[in-house]
Amino acid sequence: MKGREVGMSTWVVLSGVVSLFVGLMVGVARADLSFCLGCHQDESLKKQDPRGRSLSLFVSEAGFKSSVHGKLSCSSCHTRIKDDRHAEGGKKAADKSVHCGTCHREAEKEYQQGLHSKLIMKGTERAANCYDCHGKHNIQPSKNPKSMTHVSNIERTCNRCHSDVEFVKEHALGATIPGEAFQKSVHKKTGEVTCTSCHGSHNLRSLIDPKSTIFRSNIPQTCGSCHPDITKQFTESIHGVLAARGRTDSPTCTTCHGIHGIKAKVDPDSPVNERRIALTTCPQCHAAERISREYKITTTPVKSYYDSFHGLSYRGGDTYSANCASCHGVHDIRPSSDPKSMVYKDNLQKTCGNCHPGASENFAKGKMHAVASTAGEDFGEKVVGWVRITYIILIVCVIGGMIFFNFTDWLRKTIDRMH
Amino acid sequence: MAKKYLRMTLNERVQHINLFINFTILVITGFALKYPEAFWVSPITDVPGGMTLRGFLHRLSGVAIVTLGGYHILYMLFTQRGRGILKDMVPVVKDLRDAWETLKNNLFINRPAKEIKMPRFNFREKAEYLGLIWGTIVMTVTGFILWFEVEWLKFFPKWTFDVARAIHFYEAILATLTIIVWHFYSVIFNPDVYPMSWAWITGHLTEHEMEKEHGLELERLKAEEKGKLVEFGEAAAVGGGRVYPLRGERREKIFPIKRLYGTVQGLNQTIKNWKGE
Repeated sequence: MKGREVGMSTWVVLSGVVSLFVGLMVGVARADLSFCLGCHQDESLKKQDPRGRSLSLFVSEAGFKSSVHGKLSCSSCHTRIKDDRHAEGGKKAADKSVHCGTCHREAEKEYQQGLHSKLIMKGTERAANCYDCHGKHNIQPSKNPKSMTHVSNIERTCNRCHSDVEFVKEHALGATIPGEAFQKSVHKKTGEVTCTSCHGSHNLRSLIDPKSTIFRSNIPQTCGSCHPDITKQFTESIHGVLAARGRTDSPTCTTCHGIHGIKAKVDPDSPVNERRIALTTCPQCHAAERISREYKITTTPVKSYYDSFHGLSYRGGDTYSANCASCHGVHDIRPSSDPKSMVYKDNLQKTCGNCHPGASENFAKGKMHAVASTAGEDFGEKVVGWVRITYIILIVCVIGGMIFFNFTDWLRKTIDRMH
Repeated sequence: MAKKYLRMTLNERVQHINLFINFTILVITGFALKYPEAFWVSPITDVPGGMTLRGFLHRLSGVAIVTLGGYHILYMLFTQRGRGILKDMVPVVKDLRDAWETLKNNLFINRPAKEIKMPRFNFREKAEYLGLIWGTIVMTVTGFILWFEVEWLKFFPKWTFDVARAIHFYEAILATLTIIVWHFYSVIFNPDVYPMSWAWITGHLTEHEMEKEHGLELERLKAEEKGKLVEFGEAAAVGGGRVYPLRGERREKIFPIKRLYGTVQGLNQTIKNWKGE
């Protein structure tokens, strides 16, 4: 939250004016306030809006006076209502529009670049205006815990629209309700992270706007504002490099960690929980045929992992068994040709040695993601392929022979018994 | 009371039960690794650390079976009964002929059916015993390669490890199916012994079972009993109708190696005596 961007010059001018005319100002303000409230403190004061809906015109005096603008007069903001004609002239005379940007220039500038203002300019009725997030007469500074824009309340403020099922459906914001997912997230638990931490506030932009904090290739930087070390690791990794170059298939933070519902990795529901990394998270791309075709990587590593001891034990719930990240790293995954990679040929002995103390140089040689096949490229793959075929033939013949022999034996003995 | 014939001494029955339990544990814990999503594996995978415990149990039972195998070798070599079993277990051409004739009988090729008299260990048992030896050797070697992969891969390329994995798996399938198809038929589903041959618990076969499965041995024992076979004089029928081969007199000269494994004999002797008959 950037606060109240009242320009320095404005303050200078204002303080001058205030010091000169303070008594008069207060007098005018008070007079103004009591004059307006003469009607507007009536809780039953209502009007019909153009659609015929009833609109309360009540203004709470206490609420206003305790607000950050409590010292201002009504006409400071309601600049178009200069005289009392509006009360008699009805809606046409009452040009009630309030222009916050007169004082809050920076905020207005940012807001005009953001998604909400653009939608309003397009005529979307339900896009947020200043007062949608900040309130109207009872605006509090964002440091005040009662403020709609206090860090603890922002979520509720945004959720007024963004957790509304109808709203979400109407605006095609996806099937999930961001607020619901966020409720269970680790960020929510910290109490320090809220919607605006990632989305920005006045200038929050659309997902497809390249300047947006949540634009695909900007996500690592957005997350990096709190997790700088990880972002540094990630931007140097193969995933980070490709994502920065605009490869939409390459993962960013959210691809693996989730979006609104990010959970701690110890949480079993987290996609980066050690129980899920090798079952869903890495395979979501590395076992996907489309991506494999495009990047000329195969789905073999995933398949062969699942059939290796590591993969089999992992599938059975063994958390000591190696998963993808155990050998390839986490945020700093690099291609095996990169000398800094954990799976670079000279680093493999050390990588294997993490779990297999005493692993020799020879230990790390040979094809790791081997698949038994008589047509395999690797010699070992071929040998295992032939062993497999030999054994299958052996099993079929031996067991088949036994079944046949025993069946005849059983049949004969049964027939003999019947006679 | 029908006459009973000793088939397995208590020592042998304990060996069999030991093998039975450990083999079952190995089969369950082994295939639980290969098929972790199978329904019957859920008791293992649902427990935290279940897979780790599974691996531990698998190795423990493996060691138990290897130890049992070592004991069995000593038993077969250094007890008189063991040497007798070993001698009778050697496959001969007659076994092939027995199997062939049995098949011809079964398929009504022999009309009328030929009466086949089989020795103390018939072709079924000999084949199975040989298979058991073969399987134990293969599983032990490949199993230890998989267990001590760091040591093994100091000297051998990784593909040998992969081959060991493949063999360990397929040999396991072969062994398990052999037990189910061959052994369970012999001792359970065979109409002559159904619902079960109780020899693995009681230690003896009935005369009926002897006649069906070991006709030759039955004849020999009966002849022996009558004192016709003088060269087998030391093995007389004793003990309430049961037929025991008596232990020979202790040899005056004791070989050092025999003394080394004297414990094996001693244990066998103790167990036998403890039987109290």
